[in-house]
Amino acid sequence: MAGLELISDQGYRIDGRKPTELRQIRCRLGVFTQADGSSYVEQGNTKVLASIYGPHEPSSNMRSKISHDKCIINCEYSQASFSSAERKHRPRGDRKSLDMAAHIKQTFESCIHTTLYPRSQIDIFLQILQSDGSNYCACVNAATLAIVDAGIAMKDYVCACSASLAKGTTLVDINHVEESAGCAELSAAVMPKLNKIVYSELNGRLHEDEIGKVLDSVVLGCNDMFAVMERTVREHVEETVSNFTHS
Amino acid sequence: MSRCSFKAWDLLMLLFVTLLLFCFAFISMEHILGQKCIPGERLTSVESCRSGTGTYQRQGYIFASLTGVVCKEEKETDLPILYVASRHKAQSVPEVGNIVTCKITQISSRFAKCQITAVNNCSLAHAFRGMIRKEDVRSTERDKVEIFKSFHPGDIVLAKVLSLGDAQWYLLTTAENELGVVVAQSENGTPLTALSHNEMQCPVTHVKESRKVARPQKEHIGFPER
Repeated sequence: MAGLELISDQGYRIDGRKPTELRQIRCRLGVFTQADGSSYVEQGNTKVLASIYGPHEPSSNMRSKISHDKCIINCEYSQASFSSAERKHRPRGDRKSLDMAAHIKQTFESCIHTTLYPRSQIDIFLQILQSDGSNYCACVNAATLAIVDAGIAMKDYVCACSASLAKGTTLVDINHVEESAGCAELSAAVMPKLNKIVYSELNGRLHEDEIGKVLDSVVLGCNDMFAVMERTVREHVEETVSNFTHS
Repeated sequence: MSRCSFKAWDLLMLLFVTLLLFCFAFISMEHILGQKCIPGERLTSVESCRSGTGTYQRQGYIFASLTGVVCKEEKETDLPILYVASRHKAQSVPEVGNIVTCKITQISSRFAKCQITAVNNCSLAHAFRGMIRKEDVRSTERDKVEIFKSFHPGDIVLAKVLSLGDAQWYLLTTAENELGVVVAQSENGTPLTALSHNEMQCPVTHVKESRKVARPQKEHIGFPER
C-alpha cells in the first residue's frame, strides 16, 4: 500500500508533479498533407494523432443522415494495439471506442458552426498511439487543433482536462496510475473564452460537496491547456501567414 | 450669467467626451486590423462593424471563427464589414445561382450526371454530385433535346446551379450561351475545337461531333493557382 500513495505527505504526486500541475504538452499542426487538417498532441505519455477531412459530400453510408440546414460530423476513434501495456486485439469497433467516438462527436457538434456547411460531412479521425490516462482529453485537444488547421469555422477552442480527488486534494490531468487506483475521475471539455462546459463525465464515486471543487480545478486546467494550444496555433499562424504574404 | 457659463462648460465637456470616445474607437479599430486572430477571439463591437466571413456575432460583439488575419471592407452607405482572411481556400458549398465547373460522369436518355469540381472558379477539395436534366440543357426546343448529342462522359462543362434538388444531387442548367461544354475530347484523345454553338471538330481527323458548346466568359475561366 505504501507504493500506491497517490500524493505524498510533502504534496507531490507519483510522477513528481504538484496536484494542480499538468503534464508536459507538446503540440504540432499540419502533420499530414493529405488531410484537410491534422495535428499531433502529446500530453505526458499520451500521444494522439488527429486528422480532419471535409466539409465534403456525405459518403454512401451517411447519406440517410443528411441535414438540409447543417453538416453532419462523423468521428472515428481508434486505439492502437500497442498503445497500452497489454496488447489490444481489436483496435476499433468495441463498445469503449464507440462510446468515446460518440462523446467526441457530441462535443464538437456544439462548437463547430455547422450551419455554414449545409448538406456536408466533416470527418474526424483520432488515433491513440500511446495511452497513459486522460485519453478523452488528449483526443479533444488534438481534434480542436486539427479543426483549426483545417480552417473550419468554430465558436471557440474546446479544451478538455480531467481531475480526481485523493485524500481531500484535487489532482489535475491524471495519468494511468491515478486512473487505475480507483478514485473518481471527472473529465470536462470547456470553451474557455465563452466560459461554457460542453461536455462532462464522472466515473467513480464523489461526494456532492466536492464536485464543485473538482470542477473548478478542471476549469483551471482547461485554461492552462488553452494557453498552450493558443501559443502553438499563433506560432503556426505566424509561419503560414508569412508564407501567405510572400506568395 | 451663471446659467450661460454653465451651459457653455457643459457643451464643451460633452464635445470633449464625444471626441475622446470617437478617437478611442478609431484607435481600437486600427489596432485590430492586420492582426492575426484565432477562433473565439473577440474583435470589436457590433455597433462599429458588421460581421463578415470567418466571424460571428454574440452578445453585441464580433468574434472570430477562423484562424487568419483580420481585414475590413469599407462600404459607403453602411458600416464596414469585418472579415477574417484565411490561407485556406474557402470551403465553399454550391448554392443556387453559382456558376460551377463539372465533369460529366454518366449520361442517359433523360439526364446527365456529373461531378462538381469548382464553384465560382474556386476548386473544391471534395467533389459534389450534380445532374443536368434533359429539359435544362437549352432554352429553345426543349422537347427535342437529345442528351447524347449534348454531352459525353469526360466533358468539362460550365453550368449554373438551378436548385439543391433532393438529398443526393444538385440540379444544374446549361440553358444560357455562356454555359455548356468547354473542354471535350475525341475518341483518340485529341481535344476538340469548337465550331458553333452545337458542333465541335477534331483537328486531327476532322470528324465533327455534336455538343452543347459554351461561349465562356472571362470571369468564368479560372487559372490554376501558383
